[in-house]
Amino acid sequence: MRIGLFVTCLVDSIRPGIGFAAIELLEAAGCEVVVPEQQTCCGQPGYNSGDSKMARALALKFLAEFESFDYIVLPSGSCAGMIRVHYPELFKDDPEQLTRFIALGTRTFELTDFLHRIAKPEKMPGTFKGRLTYHDSCSGLRELDVYEQPRALLAGMPGVTLNEMVESTTCCGFGGTFSVKYGELSTRMADNKCRHIVDTHAGTIAGGDLGCLLNIEGRLRRNGDHATRVLHIAEILAGKDM
Amino acid sequence: MNARERILARIASRKPDSDALGHHLATHPRGPQPPVPCDLKKHFAERARKLSSDVVEADQLSHAPGLIADYLQQKMLPMQGVCWPALADLPWLEAGLNIEARPARDRDLVGITGAFCAIAETGTLLLLGGELTPASTSLLPETHVAIVHPHRIVATMEDAWELLRREFGTPPRTVNFISGPSRTADIEQTVTLGAHGPYRVLVVLVQSAI
Amino acid sequence: MQNRSADFKRQVTIKLADTRLQQALSRLQSRFVEGRTAVISEIHDLQETRDAAAMIRDRALDNLDHWLLHFEAQATRRGAVVHWAETAEDVNRIVAGIAELHGVKTATKSKSMVSEECGLNEALEHAGVKVVETDLGEYILQQAHEAPSHIVAPVVHKNKEEISDLFEKIHQLPRKTGIAELCREAREILRPAFLSADMGISGANFLIAETGSALIVTNEGNGRLVTTLPRVHVAITGIEKVVPTLEDVATLLRLLPRSATGQSITNYVSLLTGTKGEGDPEGPEHFHIVLLDNGRSSLLGGPMQEMLRCIRCGACMNHCPVYQNIGGHAYGWVYPGPMGSILTPLLGGMENAPDLPNASTLCGACSVVCPVKIPLPDLLRNLREKQLVLGMKPRQETALLGIWAWLALHPRLYALATGFIVRFMKLLGGREGLLHKLPGASGWSDGRDFPAPQGRTFRELYRQRKHP
Ligand code: SF4
Repeated sequence: MRIGLFVTCLVDSIRPGIGFAAIELLEAAGCEVVVPEQQTCCGQPGYNSGDSKMARALALKFLAEFESFDYIVLPSGSCAGMIRVHYPELFKDDPEQLTRFIALGTRTFELTDFLHRIAKPEKMPGTFKGRLTYHDSCSGLRELDVYEQPRALLAGMPGVTLNEMVESTTCCGFGGTFSVKYGELSTRMADNKCRHIVDTHAGTIAGGDLGCLLNIEGRLRRNGDHATRVLHIAEILAGKDM
Repeated sequence: MNARERILARIASRKPDSDALGHHLATHPRGPQPPVPCDLKKHFAERARKLSSDVVEADQLSHAPGLIADYLQQKMLPMQGVCWPALADLPWLEAGLNIEARPARDRDLVGITGAFCAIAETGTLLLLGGELTPASTSLLPETHVAIVHPHRIVATMEDAWELLRREFGTPPRTVNFISGPSRTADIEQTVTLGAHGPYRVLVVLVQSAI
Repeated sequence: MQNRSADFKRQVTIKLADTRLQQALSRLQSRFVEGRTAVISEIHDLQETRDAAAMIRDRALDNLDHWLLHFEAQATRRGAVVHWAETAEDVNRIVAGIAELHGVKTATKSKSMVSEECGLNEALEHAGVKVVETDLGEYILQQAHEAPSHIVAPVVHKNKEEISDLFEKIHQLPRKTGIAELCREAREILRPAFLSADMGISGANFLIAETGSALIVTNEGNGRLVTTLPRVHVAITGIEKVVPTLEDVATLLRLLPRSATGQSITNYVSLLTGTKGEGDPEGPEHFHIVLLDNGRSSLLGGPMQEMLRCIRCGACMNHCPVYQNIGGHAYGWVYPGPMGSILTPLLGGMENAPDLPNASTLCGACSVVCPVKIPLPDLLRNLREKQLVLGMKPRQETALLGIWAWLALHPRLYALATGFIVRFMKLLGGREGLLHKLPGASGWSDGRDFPAPQGRTFRELYRQRKHP
């Protein structure tokens, strides 16, 4: 299987380690991983701000770079959702492109979804000892039905105890530009999330979207919590939890 | 143009297919319905109790007053009230009840009605308003008693509409679904029984009509 | 009702700091969210039923003129009078006219969000009609001179102590503290009003074209009293509320109360058709039905038509993390939460509600619970697109996103720029690895640190690894 890995703009800039963890996971599952080097951003920020034109331009760029792969995998539910759900919407009036985008979408997967449902590796390369709690990011959950997948993968790792938090599926308040434009509201939502995380006494919070994780970590740290570890699911599965 | 014409012009259908619309009206197709267990009486009673109605069973209609009297006594409620004209001839006095056959007024505390039918799906009573079946009887008093014949229990809401069409053609002025005592949860979202209508509903299921 | 949506941002700050409100809002989760979850599973095939419900609403909306005309003909045949109102003012004028025609001095009213939309109470008071709200929640608000903060639970923002205080003051009776006692007191105060009113005013959850009926869904019984006792009944609703048949309404009724309050069915569902019959001991002699447009027709046939499917269950706001944190008043008009963030700019003008389409993370919690499957996040996004076209977006935001997109389309420059930024930010993050201030993004950094980047971009490291 030839996989095109799109690391996402946030991972590229802020936590490259997640990208390498994803490569390791995919390779351990027997995939050939290619990272097209011209990749940048999927266009979601502009799209969610109402700029479809901009989003269409980036969608076409994405299509050109990734159309040739058997599968396209992203360590982010929201970017995978952008490609699978929203790219086709952007081209709904252009039948020719639409067919291509639908075909692209059906081959595009969020990382844990891909590992669990398609690649099905026997075991995870990493080890993790201890408790953690999991935040379900909105797009992955509601656009791609990613809920069981990370839990199933974690269940396959001996030594991991999952302490579920209450309202794990409630939005953390990130929402891209929302987090800056409605900072106060966003912070309150993050606060609620952090409270639920701390209440689990897990010590580690994992998730599948770096945006949410930055939001959660940012609030935890501002609240003086420097102990709770905030990790991407790929880092845990690959044993790159530092 | 007046307001009506202007609104109608604005909402004019883009692709009217009056045959299809007429067909929909004529056939009034049903949507998905929940499976309802075939013991309608049992299911109805279960659902009705879930909605805080009380349910008792009588072998025959003439036993209903006795059961109603027991219920009122047990709850320490007044032994008098009003009923629909069709129920005027029941042996109320023998059961120790003072029941007048007239529409309810503000001060009446017990209202006794029949029902057009009942719906097992939700434990709902269906009452039609009319000359002999005033709606106020099930509304103004603090206690509403409904006498229902189990053969008038249908499975779903759609079945109830069907029965209504068959027996009445078009609906009378009021058709009321009643599902338990009136309630409100407006204050702190805490359910409180007895808002503006009855505080309690007793359903008497009567096996035989005599 | 006056539109104060432009004040949204300031209101958010106020509401977030209001501890009493925060406490009241915490009940949403336990009562409404968990309540819905408990009963929605009773529906055998939920997705199929939601699909059917959406289709029923679409069928009505696609041929709205047809169904409304059919409705009008049937209702008229049964003695009702159907009025068409283009604006809120039209409704007020029509209802005041009806009151005058029938010599109405007092009116009792059951809950109607459309009448809130119109500010009908003030208009009637102005015309010399005394209006008494009879839904417990609406009654409390009328006494407190406040607006509803939720379309189903209008006083969700108040606790019982506030209501005790209010009742003690206005009723001049010994203070009640229990919820049941408060309800009983309101019942006893309102009974005479029901019995003596000349006119009853209600909304209508649905209009049924087949029979010309108005269907009203209530729990308290006030809706029945208001539509049974007075000699005149006026039902006010939006033109979009029509559905073709009784079977169609059955499907919607399976979803509405379950989605709204977590009830399998509301206590009362009243189907009202025409005026009182010959020999009927009760019922109104005059039945008027007022159909309001107020901008709804402009959504038909366009990308926002799906919004008109709405059956006003309130599930979207109950599940919305934004609503859950600020309550309904912050939204500034009649309809709060996700559906309000769409309806308010559409019916009241985008310029009067610039924040509402943006004040959402598009988390999608609303659309997965919406019984008629309105894609609320998509519609919000669509409104953002409109704002962009209208030039309503903040200049700084469009500029930044423009630069970002341009860079993203030019990978080489993108690599240069991001390579520089991550190094700079790493430096700023210091040993702690945290940025405490983000110039130009204080919305983030006022409440959160920003975890510093690792300092090299993935693409740099990846290339290095491939070509060491
Ligand atoms: S938008 Fe959907 S969920 Fe919200 S009130 Fe309307 S019908 Fe209910």
